[in-house]
Amino acid sequence: MKLWYLAVKDLRLLLRDRMGAFFVIGFPVLLGLFFGVIFRGPAAGGGSSAKIDIVVVDQDATPQSQRLFAELQNNGSLRVDTADAEQARRSVRRGERAGMIVIPAGFGAAAGLPWEPQPEIQIGVDPSKGAEGAMLEGMLMQAVATLVGERFQNPKEFLSSLDRAQQSLASADDVSPATRLLVATFLQQVQRVIQAADELQTSRDGQEHRQHFQLNLANIRKIDIIDDAAPSSLAGQLQKVRSPWDISFPQAMMWGIMGCVAGFSMSIARERSRGTLLRLRAAPLSKSQILIGKALACFLACLLVMFMMTVLGVALGMHPLSFAKLAAAGLATSFCFVGIMMTMAVLGKTEESVAGTGWAANIVMAMFGGGMVPVMFMPGFVQTLSRFSPIYWSIRGIEGAIWRDFSWSELLPAVAVLVLIGLMGTGVGAFVLHRHRD
Amino acid sequence: MLVLDRIAKRYGPVTAVRNVTLQVRRGECLGLLGPNGAGKSTTIGMMVGWIKPDSGTVLLDGSPPDRTETRRLLGVAPQALSLYEELTARENLRFFGQLYDLRGEPLRERMAWCLKLAGLEDRADDRVQTYSGGMKRRLNIAVALIHQPKLLLLDEPTVGVDPQSRNHIFDWIEQLQSQGMTIVYTTHYMEEAQRLCDRVAIIDHGELLAIDPVPELLARHGGLSVIVGQIEHVPADMDLPGAVTDAGWRLEAAEPFESLTQLTHRGVRFRSVQIAGPDLETVFLKLTGRGLRD
Repeated sequence: MKLWYLAVKDLRLLLRDRMGAFFVIGFPVLLGLFFGVIFRGPAAGGGSSAKIDIVVVDQDATPQSQRLFAELQNNGSLRVDTADAEQARRSVRRGERAGMIVIPAGFGAAAGLPWEPQPEIQIGVDPSKGAEGAMLEGMLMQAVATLVGERFQNPKEFLSSLDRAQQSLASADDVSPATRLLVATFLQQVQRVIQAADELQTSRDGQEHRQHFQLNLANIRKIDIIDDAAPSSLAGQLQKVRSPWDISFPQAMMWGIMGCVAGFSMSIARERSRGTLLRLRAAPLSKSQILIGKALACFLACLLVMFMMTVLGVALGMHPLSFAKLAAAGLATSFCFVGIMMTMAVLGKTEESVAGTGWAANIVMAMFGGGMVPVMFMPGFVQTLSRFSPIYWSIRGIEGAIWRDFSWSELLPAVAVLVLIGLMGTGVGAFVLHRHRD
Repeated sequence: MLVLDRIAKRYGPVTAVRNVTLQVRRGECLGLLGPNGAGKSTTIGMMVGWIKPDSGTVLLDGSPPDRTETRRLLGVAPQALSLYEELTARENLRFFGQLYDLRGEPLRERMAWCLKLAGLEDRADDRVQTYSGGMKRRLNIAVALIHQPKLLLLDEPTVGVDPQSRNHIFDWIEQLQSQGMTIVYTTHYMEEAQRLCDRVAIIDHGELLAIDPVPELLARHGGLSVIVGQIEHVPADMDLPGAVTDAGWRLEAAEPFESLTQLTHRGVRFRSVQIAGPDLETVFLKLTGRGLRD
């Protein structure tokens, strides 16, 4: 019960200290929101504000080019406007649009017909938005493929294209007789197949009942490539992120927990400088009880931060895949940082020295562990270094529960490392406190 | 009640306390008098169990003070204000009371008693950081009393306190004494020791130089009283004892009133006379060769 009173007293002191309370509660919320807004885009999962702004220049003005425009508009990741070529170029140069697409004249006549020379579709991208450019290229290919597929599903249009191709072949002077014969035979065979298939669409009882033509020369369908991408690759990881808050809130939780560590690690030095440690030591308490009371307060504060950030994150759109695993990661993280707090608490004798050491250690841990920039965005060697930071294991565990879809066995290494660090920190803290000269 | 038997404590080359032996009797107020750095606070630290002596033993009611149950007998008001300034007086009292296993009604009663004693009933729910120095000092002592200790250790309780609060604290201590509480009171103000303490232990350089009731200390180490005055008339045939200077007449005497009576009978007339008896300052000066505030 005394441990509880000690912990409640420390929590009360923390909340009464406006600056301390800000670093534990306010700062992580602000960080979570700030980074969440920054991470919108590649990790947005299709939110309206995460769309890539592009402008389309339609120099063809055929039903096919309009169909391509409509297809791009239907892409949930794009916000599409039209403009003339000069306006489009200017808006991209000014950074108002991420990119531009020019549909050239002749596109409608040739798109999807391999025997026709293909006019060049141009893509211009803001150089500072390379990732969006790559995504735009993929989306354009997808739209063109859909358009081609649709063209093949319309027999009349396809037969008309074949007629045009045969006429063109007949009038071509630069084609050798052998090639002309080969291509003409091929086109005639295709024409027969298309006509036969079209006739088959009449029902057996003589009623005209046109059904969809299912030639499917190019059967394009969307597939879930999450399992196909290497899970450790940036793309593979980003594909699993469903909301920017999935990334920003684990980071923000860590800053709240670091605030707890900084606040509570100073509290022993503060008790010493204010003389209250003497009074505590005059009470029927052991040194270990005093330290455990601090640890309990820090542990509860860390859990409170995680709970608060989870509630806020869920309210904003973060949907943890497993609350049970998130709780396990949260408990392990809290225990780990209680150990770190206990070590920091006894390293310095004055509030200033503990505060300086504590925040310096926090910054280094955060820098390498993914507390500032997510580890997946770091260079390879820094990613290797990050494994030495408890922040890395904490974020890994929390992300494992929120969006990485870890199994229990995948979560276990992170939890084990965190518990181990917590035990070591607690041991060092208790040992040094007992050895402190009176 | 409290026995210190040849306790010693060194910090590197510095000897903070050197073989101090003393006993604190139940119900008495023992003063530890000495200048800053004399070893008073280290001695208090060993009495409480904060500091482990290098040698010697400390026993409180027969047990070492670092035992949990023994600590329940002790109330300590450290020299530094030992309060949580972000908490209110009531919260401070409740927290420390809870550490001594006080709960419910008994805790509420003790809190009310302490607040009344400290004169803080009206400010009980204000944060300590808004208090004056005197109020904080009073609360610092009140917190030490929350669990009704048998032995109260007050380490320089009047440092930095205004005269009004100082008198308030003196009244308290006398009240607690009259209730039979045992008190150990460290100070470097001889007036406080002289007013409050049944016995005074004089400490310097970590050594216990003397321990006795104040009158005995004065009698044994205080020397003679000093009479200072302005002479109006001395009979012509009389050889006036003492020394006459521009500032007046000065005479040291064991029995100053008797000496003055004899001189008056022999025809000496005085314009003014002052008698200064020996005090603890004199005692300290005689025992250490330096003043308390040197």
